[in-house]
Amino acid sequence: MTTTTDSPTTTPTTGDKPTAHVRIVLAKVGLDGHDRGIKVVARGLRDAGFHVIYGGIWQSPAAVAQAVLDEDAQWLGISLLNGAHLTLIPQVVEALRQRGLLDVRLVLGGIVPPRDIPALTEIGVAAIFGPGTSVAEIAASLQSTSARITNVAELLVSFRQRDRRSLSRLLTMIAAGQQLGDIRDWLHANRPANDASAKNNFRTIAFTGNGGVGKSSLIARLVAELRSQGYTVAVLSCDPQSPITGGALLGDRIRMSDCLPDEGVFIRSLPVTSGSQGIASNLDLMSQALERFGFDIVLIETAGTGQGDIAVRNFADALVLVMQPESGDSIQWEKAGLLEIADVIVVHKSDLPGAERMESELREQLSLPGHHPAALIRVSAAKNTGIPELWEAISHPSFHRVGTAPRVFPKA
Amino acid sequence: MPTSIKPNGQIAGHYGPGELATVVFERDIGEAGHYPFTRGVHADMYRGRLWTMRQFAGFGTARETNKRFRFLLDQGQSGLSTAFDLPTLMGLDSDDSRSVGEVGRLGVAVDTVDDFHTLFETIDLEQISVSMTINAPAAIVMAFYLAAAQERGFDWKKLRGTIQNDILKEFHAQNEIVFPPEPSVRLVVDLIEFCARYVPQWNTVSISGYHIREAGSTAVQELAFTLADGLHYVDETLRRGLPIDSFAPRLSFFFNAHNDLFEEIAKYRAARRLWAELMRETYGATDPASWKLRFHAQTAGCSLQDRQPEVNLIRVAYQALAAVLGGCQSLHTNSMDETLALPTEHAVTLALRTQQVLAYETGVTKTVDPIGGSYFVESLTQQMHDDAEGYFERIRSYGGMLGAIDAGFFRREIAESAYQYQRSVDQDDNVIVGVNRFVQPDEVRVETLQVDASVENTQVESLRCIKSARSASDVLRTLAEVRQVAAAGGNTFPALIEAAKARVTIGELVKGLADVFGRQSLHEQ
Ligand code: B12
Ligand SMILES: Nc1nc2c(ncn2[C@@H]2O[C@H](COP(=O)(O)OP(=O)(O)OP(=O)(O)O)[C@@H](O)[C@H]2O)c(=O)[nH]1
Ligand SMILES: [Mg+2]
Repeated sequence: MTTTTDSPTTTPTTGDKPTAHVRIVLAKVGLDGHDRGIKVVARGLRDAGFHVIYGGIWQSPAAVAQAVLDEDAQWLGISLLNGAHLTLIPQVVEALRQRGLLDVRLVLGGIVPPRDIPALTEIGVAAIFGPGTSVAEIAASLQSTSARITNVAELLVSFRQRDRRSLSRLLTMIAAGQQLGDIRDWLHANRPANDASAKNNFRTIAFTGNGGVGKSSLIARLVAELRSQGYTVAVLSCDPQSPITGGALLGDRIRMSDCLPDEGVFIRSLPVTSGSQGIASNLDLMSQALERFGFDIVLIETAGTGQGDIAVRNFADALVLVMQPESGDSIQWEKAGLLEIADVIVVHKSDLPGAERMESELREQLSLPGHHPAALIRVSAAKNTGIPELWEAISHPSFHRVGTAPRVFPKA
Repeated sequence: MPTSIKPNGQIAGHYGPGELATVVFERDIGEAGHYPFTRGVHADMYRGRLWTMRQFAGFGTARETNKRFRFLLDQGQSGLSTAFDLPTLMGLDSDDSRSVGEVGRLGVAVDTVDDFHTLFETIDLEQISVSMTINAPAAIVMAFYLAAAQERGFDWKKLRGTIQNDILKEFHAQNEIVFPPEPSVRLVVDLIEFCARYVPQWNTVSISGYHIREAGSTAVQELAFTLADGLHYVDETLRRGLPIDSFAPRLSFFFNAHNDLFEEIAKYRAARRLWAELMRETYGATDPASWKLRFHAQTAGCSLQDRQPEVNLIRVAYQALAAVLGGCQSLHTNSMDETLALPTEHAVTLALRTQQVLAYETGVTKTVDPIGGSYFVESLTQQMHDDAEGYFERIRSYGGMLGAIDAGFFRREIAESAYQYQRSVDQDDNVIVGVNRFVQPDEVRVETLQVDASVENTQVESLRCIKSARSASDVLRTLAEVRQVAAAGGNTFPALIEAAKARVTIGELVKGLADVFGRQSLHEQ
């Protein structure tokens, strides 16, 4: 059963370049744990070329709306099989409204009895997909919709007035490489007055490491720690996109969902193409934009290929290399030359066996001539241990090194 | 076309003695009622006693559900099965802000022991066996049940029933999670230990493959993950110091009955054989009751369709046949309005009648294991048995059950199968009548059940009354005791039962335990 109230237009408005890949946030609200359908849809849309940000189950309407805002998504898809749609969907719509997001298309999947459909379409649900819908049918209805503001001058005016959506749009433009010259000039012209200003504790910290070593989980813990110290934090999370379809299932955000909703936290998921060295292009500009907007700290999660990390080191204040026990990570990173440029090395998942051994082996390795004194910290995101120590190491002045890597992005 | 993608092996067109070359009749098949029980746990199977017809039911308040229970008993149902609402399943009270909109909607709303009095009013708990589908707060709900039974004067030793109490599959598939894995399993073991001693006829865990399969797994994954969960409970209970034969006979199982008739039959047979082998050979159980895998089956909800809903009756009938030919001990048949809402009285009656026709009219009950000896089914049984062992090995490679959960192994495996299945349907490789073949434009609309919106207010109001009538000091004292025992590592049951009698709520008890155990946030893969 598919109920479409007014058919979403597939033709982008004049003068506007259609976004190559539609960005959609998918999530479940309330206590409903039926996640088979939404996960199938998430993967199916990825394979159909969408950029899918899956927010997970048990999300609050406010957290979902914040995800839509910060991810600059054109679509929001909610799945509900718990019969509570008449309570929960109005709350989602209200959360969108409060953030000025009523132009975002809202679609619904799951179990919705026919008698409830009118009430839902009335408050703006664009389409409802029930059991037995094929993914192709869903993908076909979720094409690029509205014209996007691309007038960069206008955008920057509202950005300056601290309109969060403009920040989000700006990041989209930077990621897509649109009007980079103008944006770069503006950011440069509007940089904080001098180094000694309140902004001088602004930092960009990059995290790298193999897939699955727990970078996102670690960042989530660090965000909580930084928030408790009063910092505002933005996270730029890179995840690979399919070289064939260009689609991506961006899964880092879900690990950080405990931090949300919180206006002091901004999370943007960035698909990276293969061959882009594991980082999104123009991360340095994004980081600058976040600083200008007022975030104290930017945390970058790379997709961990090694090569791109060297580029990140050029503008980040510190590079954190994350490894896990019994993995052969240390040998691999030694070869890639990363052990030499990392400022902090994390032996992560220290709750697992082999962490101590890995730490002592690394300590030996690092004390060999030619290695600079990187800090070595044992952390477990699962057990929430080692996080304050990690932050202390990251913020240690000796790691904001001079000479080893010239900073492309000046502090002021 | 099989309904699941089999990771290992394909179905051939013909089977003969050649396929059974490695199967040794005495060792691998044997006779019903005898080790390894491939052919069934009882020598006379349904000739002796039919399976229990047990429809899962619950919605609204305890009063409404009590009415549905009595209706079902009047229709000839032989046991009760309780569905709780989502707040209860997640350990929240009806007046919690997170419960808004969900109270009594997908099951019955319960907050205190008083709701258990109402739920089973006029039902003789020494006569009727009662099953309760609850997991994260299972220990609390069991304590409420026992407290209510005692207050009504029933003898715990005579109570019969089953509590699901299977937390591991929540981490794999159902997502009703409150505490981290370790303390969660400890509560499971508390219940096993307490009932082994004081409620000896109670099935302490219903080790469930149903949810794993519904979340999208293949039949082999269902089989393997379920048995692996069972083994983890066995290991942990042994660590508690209980001898295997003191608790293994009361472990029960719960499997799915999906569309692929022979694959399902083989799955149940392989499950029985594997469990018997493990219990006798690996764990050294000597009581034959410990070797027997007894199971409840439910037809596959996820196989039922929105289009042409009456066709679901036919699917359910074949699935029920698979469960019975596979030797189930009890059975739930889904209703034809499965994709629309909780079942109406009419729909659930037809579902029950489906079982009754099967039991009384088809003749399948007259012969013990009529399928035994089929080249095809015996060969498939062997194959599933071996494939499951392959999965056990993979789980071991993660350092065991908790390591594999932590690494996201089960969720990844299940999600992958679910996606492959969806693709096969979308690409018409799997035919689904009414969905991708034999589509009918003008659809029949069936009537659906609507839970009365006033339920939430009624329940919140009755909870308020209970709270204002109870002794605040008893609440504080018994709650403190629960926390203390939880922290000290003792069995939580005596303290939980005392708290139940003091009208402490589920939400208060869950919070008390969470203060000690911590909470688990679900990080999906
Ligand atoms: C599978 C299932 C389960 C599994 C869930 C496993 C999992 N991890 O997902 C298990 C067995 C664990 C389960 C448990 C429960 N279930 Co259940 N379950 C189902 C069932 C049979 C199928 C759902 C399903 O996964 N279908 C397959 C997927 C692929 O389809 P789908 O989810 O519909 O998704 C499709 C479309 O809806 C759409 N879609 C879905 N989401 C989205 C999102 C977007 C953005 C878009 C565009 C499209 C879209 O596209 C998908 C592809 O076609 C339904 C009934 C049914 N047949 O629909 C009952 C059902 C949803 N469950 C129900 C109930 C009551 C429960 C329980 C509360 C029972 C209890 N009291 O213990 C628990 C609660 C569990 C929890 N934590 O929330 C009821 C809900 C009644 C209602 N809404 O009025 C139903 C309707 C059954 C019934 N009739 O009683 N359940
Ligand atoms: N034992 C243990 N497991 C952890 C810990 N932190 C994360 N994990 C698990 O490691 C897996 C990967 O975690 P993520 O945080 O997604 O790792 P990631 O490096 O961000 O992964 P990608 O973004 O895919 O490269 C998940 O299964 C986590 O549950 C930890 O401290 N201890
Ligand atoms: Mg990550």
